[in-house]
Amino acid sequence: MFDRTDAAPFDEAFGPDGRVRPEYAAAIDYFKKQGVQGIDHMHQSADLAMLNQGVTFTVYSDSRGTEKIFPFDLMPRLITAHEWDQIECGIVQRVTALNLFLEDIYHEQKILRSGLIPPSQILGSSLYCREMSGLNPIGGVHVQIAGIDLIRNQNGEHMVLEDNLRCPSGVSYVIENRLVSNRIMPELLGSYRVRPVSQYPQMLYEAMNSFSQSDKSTVAVLTPGVYNSAYFEHTFLASQMGAELVEGADLLVNNDKLYMKTTRGLKRIDVLYLRLDTEFIDPLVFRPDSLLGVPGLMHVYRAGNVTLANAPGNGVADDKSLYAYTPDIIRFYLGEEPILPIVPTYLGSRPADLKYMLNHLPELVVKPTDASGGYGLVVGSHASKQELAECSQRLKANPGHYVAQPIQQLSTHPSFVEQEDKQAFCSRHIDLRPFAICGADGDVKVLSGGLTRVALKRGSLVVNSSQGGGSKDTWVLYPDKNGIASGVSHA
Amino acid sequence: MLSRAARSLYRLGFLIERTENIARILDVNSRMSVEQEVFSELDVWSPMLEITHNREGFEERFGEVCAVNVVRLLLADSENPYSVRACIIEAREIARTAREMLSEELWLHINRFYLQMEHELGSGNLHRWHDFSENVHLFCNAFHGLRQNTMVRGDAWQFMRMGVALERAQMTQRILQIKYHLLLPSTHDVGSPLDMHQWQALLRSVSGYEAYRRLYKAKIEPAKVIKLLLLNPGFPRSLHFGIREVSLALREIGMCNEDQHRLYRDTEQFLDDLRGGAAGEDIISMGLHQYLQSVDTRCHMLGMQVHKAFFDTVTVSLEDDRERCFTIQINQQQQSGNTIFPHPLQKELCA
Repeated sequence: MFDRTDAAPFDEAFGPDGRVRPEYAAAIDYFKKQGVQGIDHMHQSADLAMLNQGVTFTVYSDSRGTEKIFPFDLMPRLITAHEWDQIECGIVQRVTALNLFLEDIYHEQKILRSGLIPPSQILGSSLYCREMSGLNPIGGVHVQIAGIDLIRNQNGEHMVLEDNLRCPSGVSYVIENRLVSNRIMPELLGSYRVRPVSQYPQMLYEAMNSFSQSDKSTVAVLTPGVYNSAYFEHTFLASQMGAELVEGADLLVNNDKLYMKTTRGLKRIDVLYLRLDTEFIDPLVFRPDSLLGVPGLMHVYRAGNVTLANAPGNGVADDKSLYAYTPDIIRFYLGEEPILPIVPTYLGSRPADLKYMLNHLPELVVKPTDASGGYGLVVGSHASKQELAECSQRLKANPGHYVAQPIQQLSTHPSFVEQEDKQAFCSRHIDLRPFAICGADGDVKVLSGGLTRVALKRGSLVVNSSQGGGSKDTWVLYPDKNGIASGVSHA
Repeated sequence: MLSRAARSLYRLGFLIERTENIARILDVNSRMSVEQEVFSELDVWSPMLEITHNREGFEERFGEVCAVNVVRLLLADSENPYSVRACIIEAREIARTAREMLSEELWLHINRFYLQMEHELGSGNLHRWHDFSENVHLFCNAFHGLRQNTMVRGDAWQFMRMGVALERAQMTQRILQIKYHLLLPSTHDVGSPLDMHQWQALLRSVSGYEAYRRLYKAKIEPAKVIKLLLLNPGFPRSLHFGIREVSLALREIGMCNEDQHRLYRDTEQFLDDLRGGAAGEDIISMGLHQYLQSVDTRCHMLGMQVHKAFFDTVTVSLEDDRERCFTIQINQQQQSGNTIFPHPLQKELCA
């Protein structure tokens, strides 16, 4: 039932000798007992539960838009208390430093003066938001909600792959996946000591509320509307937080205050959780053709009458070329060594790096700095000679536009798929997106869990839902009573 | 609550009620069509198309007016706004956008039925339409049960209640109109077994047969049927009951602008007419058909007023230079998807 032919050098469930890692023993026993048919049946119930709940995203292949569920893989991903300690500390450290960095570059710019980061890197970036300069968000907090993408390399080390500081999505799946696990395999869930995730909406609400001056504050979630692929998450968060779900047309600005239009007249909004890119939020300041935003919103923000979460202008801190500087950013603001390493990154803009890149193209992944979703990416080991030559041409022509990283062996995890006409648990690549929240006091809290995305296609490294990716419930375990950090209860 | 959300919930209640009524209309007709064998010239399907505004252009799209085609139009045609399918699709879409206002149970109920319906109707097979129609009844009644049992009596609930009540009031009188359209073969047949059978079918279709018997015993008299369906304050599908629901919902929501006050006054006036017996006299002096038409218009007007008072405008409280407070209603530009608001508001409005 467990096929390990595609296992990466580091597999989450099996050690290099093929033996089951201790924390996975109970789970693997459990699935063996269910048998392939039993698991298939469980999978169908899980899918049906998701469909009925409307935990779906929209695919625009026909006029009405087909709703698909984000495939859910039953076998949970386990993270021991020991592993989680490091992840949690690393994320708190990282988000704290990035908040200080954003506050700095929109004010004194000490880090630029120190010469650690070339000013052109920041001030020349299209993501640097001049409208934010000199603006004082409450507590100096720019990143209220962060999603940090982690991978595990061949040595089992957790590394940061990407920061998402604008509007990270996926947290609704973390909570819904747990509900489904609880429904479909309560015995297995109960046999582990798993940390809960359902408190996330409350964490989020408390953080949002901390930014309001009044006791009876109104928190609203701004959605681009029902046609957005993440709409389910927007309604989910609004309803779970007891917040208002608003669209741009529901809001108006008057006398530098933000209001929503209700059946009883106008009602003031104190905190607005933006699920919309910065460039669409205010047509008077950003894209004038945006119909999704609120004219005058930035005036309200500047007047200090509303908190926007996340703050506009965070893009400059999570773009691919800045990523290379994040270890230095942590050292500069916190005087600490980074707890979570990053994937070594070569910047085309640095002459020495460029030379290395040109000489080692087949071992590298080359990425344009401004693209996301895997667009324009060249994987050296998979590219033809001609593709490599073209890539090198482009690099020489516009070096500042590219970064490169050594090809990483993402860890694998047993996942229930159909392979060679039979269903089995096969090794598939995974990543992890934990979510962090920061309140007005600057304290960063990490949800004990996260979205594990899995590339269900054989050999694929791409975990995106649009490319055949699925998700797993992620079980962060409590420390064992005996101090052995496996988290498996021996009762 | 948010005007857009209020509109959605009102519309949701309205659509679920309309769904149920379409199924009920189909029901009354299939009950009445039982005697079609005996009176071959009796056209039971045309009146139904008439009251669902589907008579025009029917032949071009579907051909002959017969049971199969009418059922297809009213149950399965997603293009026809007066079909069960179109109503459920829209209701589900609205529920999706207003999900945070609904209880989890209510959302699941709607979504499950939608998925089941698309699965069943997707095959284009309508052989079992009686079963499906029955499921629609069950779905709608369970919807009301869940609405009652799982939702807080806040604005969301009241707007939904108003949508249900207004549509129900309007549809009950439309169902009565079927009888008007359904001409008997000759005047001799007034009071005949056929006539009686039709009245009975009509009563059954609004779940009023038992109520009628309890109130007026077995003998069916048209005047009493009309009284039950229009004027009885206790029968949950009567016009009177519906309008009172609207009035109660309005009272709970509260009024804060002129249009809202006017709407409430008009509703109370309507209710007074139904209560005070004026309506009974009207029915006699105007004739049933004219009376039903005037009721239809009145319900329609109330619907328009609801939109104007709550969804299409927003009330703004302002203070002038001498610190006098006043409120003003301004139009919302919902269609454009965006509001371009004069800034500063105050000067613009006071000018």
